[in-house]
Amino acid sequence: MAEQEVPELETPGLRKLPLAAGVVALVGLADSVYLAVKHFTAEPVPCSLVEGCEKVLTSPYAEVVGVPIAAAGAAAYFIAFALAVLAAYGDGRMWKLFGGLATLMAGFSLWLIYLQAAVIGAFCQFCLISAATSLTLFLIFLTSALISKETSMK
Amino acid sequence: MPLLIIGLVFVAAIIGAIYLYNSGSGSGTTSTASSNSTAARPTPNMANAPAGAPVGVNMLGSQTAAVTVEEFADYQCGGCAAVHPVMKELASAYAGNRNFRFIYRHYPLAIPAHDKSYEASAATEAAGLQGKFWQMQDQLFRNQAAWTANPNYRQIWSEYASNLGMDVQRFQADIAGIQTKNRVDADIQRGRALGVSSTPTVFVNGKPVPFSELNIASLRRIVDAEIASVASAQQSNAAPAANANQ
Repeated sequence: MAEQEVPELETPGLRKLPLAAGVVALVGLADSVYLAVKHFTAEPVPCSLVEGCEKVLTSPYAEVVGVPIAAAGAAAYFIAFALAVLAAYGDGRMWKLFGGLATLMAGFSLWLIYLQAAVIGAFCQFCLISAATSLTLFLIFLTSALISKETSMK
Repeated sequence: MPLLIIGLVFVAAIIGAIYLYNSGSGSGTTSTASSNSTAARPTPNMANAPAGAPVGVNMLGSQTAAVTVEEFADYQCGGCAAVHPVMKELASAYAGNRNFRFIYRHYPLAIPAHDKSYEASAATEAAGLQGKFWQMQDQLFRNQAAWTANPNYRQIWSEYASNLGMDVQRFQADIAGIQTKNRVDADIQRGRALGVSSTPTVFVNGKPVPFSELNIASLRRIVDAEIASVASAQQSNAAPAANANQ
């Protein structure tokens, strides 16, 4: 079977990390789907913790070349989720792809946080949730990379 | 098994998105928290200001739209009630068009015959605090004849609120509240800054539309022309904007 040719993750414990990543990606997916829908319906988003959601979500940065960032985020979280699930079932290549995607997403999130803080001057809590989930995905991948490095050195 | 999970999540995300889209569309009253800042700086360009500027307004359509149809109206004005279905039709004709948005502005005229106009505006804002601005706005215009000369108009409004599934007590308290008043005043202030003297006054990207053109065919023609001209202008601006985003 094709599955046998796939390089497996080295330690069984590692699969818990892709599983955790899958759960975190689900949170990010729900958050970005919510923001994307609100973007398309042009409805206000509740902002109970921080002020300025409107300002952030209606800023020119909410879209890149006509694509709402929230929609792109939803797609990215879905792909991240899919990769994490495949990795949790033992597909090591998918975990590497996940790592690449998570790194890109975390980098992009940092850029968005910078925009909110320095350029727009307002924060949007749902955007911050997304930033937190993508940074968490990256940290989870980083942890697994460190663990596998340690185990391979032993 | 993993593909099954992935498929299920995909379907769940789609269903969730459709549910959110259907459950929320129709009420576009933004929070009043930032409406004061809008009120403090009414500038003639605000109707077509960069996205992000017009906060705290009653708006349908895309917040980043290039074409803004802005109506100033009074709930006791017969012409406004007559134009109301036209504006509704216009907004639904362009629903989903990211180049279009409709902003409704309160402009209660301070004339004796319009003794309830200001309060009616406050009532729709109070409904907006419960997410029912557009529904209440629709009720007040459609039933204008029923309440406009009725001394029990407040009771009639409360019935509308009740029919809309609102918390009636909260609605009544909010009509007199400072939040709704601020919202209405912000619109009036903007109308004054734009030189609005009668209702309904409709602007398409800041250009007033004559009353005789306030029919669906003319408005669509004007909006289409505006979308086309903005789209061609955007194309020439696209390159620098893309650079700024990098």
